[in-house]
Amino acid sequence: MQRSLIKKGAEADIYMIEWYNRKAISKIRTPKQYRHAELDLAVRKQRTVHEASLMSAAKLAGVATPFMYFVDPARTEIVMEFVEGPSAKDALTTSLCNEMGRYSAILHANNIIHGDPTTSNFILSEKGLVLLDFGLAYYSERTEDMAVDIRLTKEVFTSAHIALEGAFESFAAGYASVAGEKRTAKLLENVREIEQRGRYARVA
Amino acid sequence: MICLGIESTAHTFGCSVVDSAGKILSDARDVYRAPEGKGIHPREASRHHIDVSSETLKQSLDLAGVSMKEIDIIGYSAGPGLGPCLRVGAVVARTLSGFYRKPLVPVNHALGHIELGAMLTGATDPLVLLVSGGHTMMLVFSQQRWRVFGETLDITIGQLLDQFGRAVGFASPCGGRIEQLAGQSSGNYIQLPYIVKGNDVSFSGLLTAAKRLAENNKLEDVCYSLQETSFAMLAEVVERALSFTGRKEMIIVGGVSANRRLSQMLEAACERQNSRFYTCPIKYSGDNGAQIAWTAILDYQATGKNVQVQDAHVRQSWRLDTVDIGWRS
Repeated sequence: MQRSLIKKGAEADIYMIEWYNRKAISKIRTPKQYRHAELDLAVRKQRTVHEASLMSAAKLAGVATPFMYFVDPARTEIVMEFVEGPSAKDALTTSLCNEMGRYSAILHANNIIHGDPTTSNFILSEKGLVLLDFGLAYYSERTEDMAVDIRLTKEVFTSAHIALEGAFESFAAGYASVAGEKRTAKLLENVREIEQRGRYARVA
Repeated sequence: MICLGIESTAHTFGCSVVDSAGKILSDARDVYRAPEGKGIHPREASRHHIDVSSETLKQSLDLAGVSMKEIDIIGYSAGPGLGPCLRVGAVVARTLSGFYRKPLVPVNHALGHIELGAMLTGATDPLVLLVSGGHTMMLVFSQQRWRVFGETLDITIGQLLDQFGRAVGFASPCGGRIEQLAGQSSGNYIQLPYIVKGNDVSFSGLLTAAKRLAENNKLEDVCYSLQETSFAMLAEVVERALSFTGRKEMIIVGGVSANRRLSQMLEAACERQNSRFYTCPIKYSGDNGAQIAWTAILDYQATGKNVQVQDAHVRQSWRLDTVDIGWRS
């Protein structure tokens, strides 16, 4: 099979390749010419390594993610399982939001912060929802970091998916089904705090 | 229709006359200058605005060659901004409106940056990056409002540059001086915290680190590294938002859009995403009365919205994503 470019993302080029007789994805973080070379390489390397390690950690924690096949930090390349299906961005429903909330809570229970939990990073595959793109992920046990993570999803709901009613409520319900009502309420309170810190948000 | 726009959110007191064809007939401004190493003191700035208000108003009418009687509506910046400064503009607007019996239209200052930028560049449905002392936000219009796709979690890019500049003894606004010094660096990049969370950015750690670096490094190199790091963060989130939304236009507006290095990086980011890059002309990147006048015209023509003199309040905190827009679809 030919190596073919299927998507030029903001951060990486995504290729369809063949990896030991199976279809696979090669994700290469290409240099950004506008970014200082030294900074650029540091960012790309760090994200490649983080993505590989946290994607596997998430899988162990019980969140569906693509299987890792190969990591090459020098080339800032990851080879992983090809997951077929539309992204949640293009097929969002409240029940998907609920499932996203569940995933988020499982990750947080394992001190994994995804860092970019936007709807385009969830793939609706035959086997269920699969979470991608752990480039901005990191470990943390701080409530604040988890709340920031939740707020990112909320931000996507209230901008790109403003037409879908009850998106965040469903997400929160899904989150609570794993983390419990008490923990979820505490996190949502922290989310509100972060929102209040936003520019010109103090007076509603 | 001819509109008089009055701007006074922060350091600038501006009056401008704009017609409904988008022609800027005049743009008079007087900017409060803080002492070196100091920021804008709201009270001092408001006193400055009081002192210059009548002269600036007269200038704007003279330059446009119109009298108050020929003005159809009056727009004023009602927020967000510094309370004492906003009130000066509002007092002038209320007085003129009451005396000459002209409809009074409150305008969101941030919205003014976007609408004037869009009108001057011809961008129709862009991803907007609003960068100034008061804002660092990415927005896309959808369902009657500008929706926030990403923003700063703490200080703005303007505050980052100003607070760093003041710490090393510059006078606010410091962006120009930092850009100039950065240009004199030999390109010696010193690593600084690079914080991107989804489409959001955080600059406060970067500010602390840069101030610390300035103690024992060449100032040119620190300015260079500060610009390279913070602007790359912005360019990256812009790229993310373009990729996510598929928008084919991107526009940068607000005071920091005057920075050439930032524009250059954003242009490269847009090119990677096959989007057209627009930048607000430098002359109108900073705060001005024209942005208020033009937005007041758009609002008044679309909705007829205006307020009575006694209801013409100011709002120091007034988020852009809470404003309903009647003239876009």
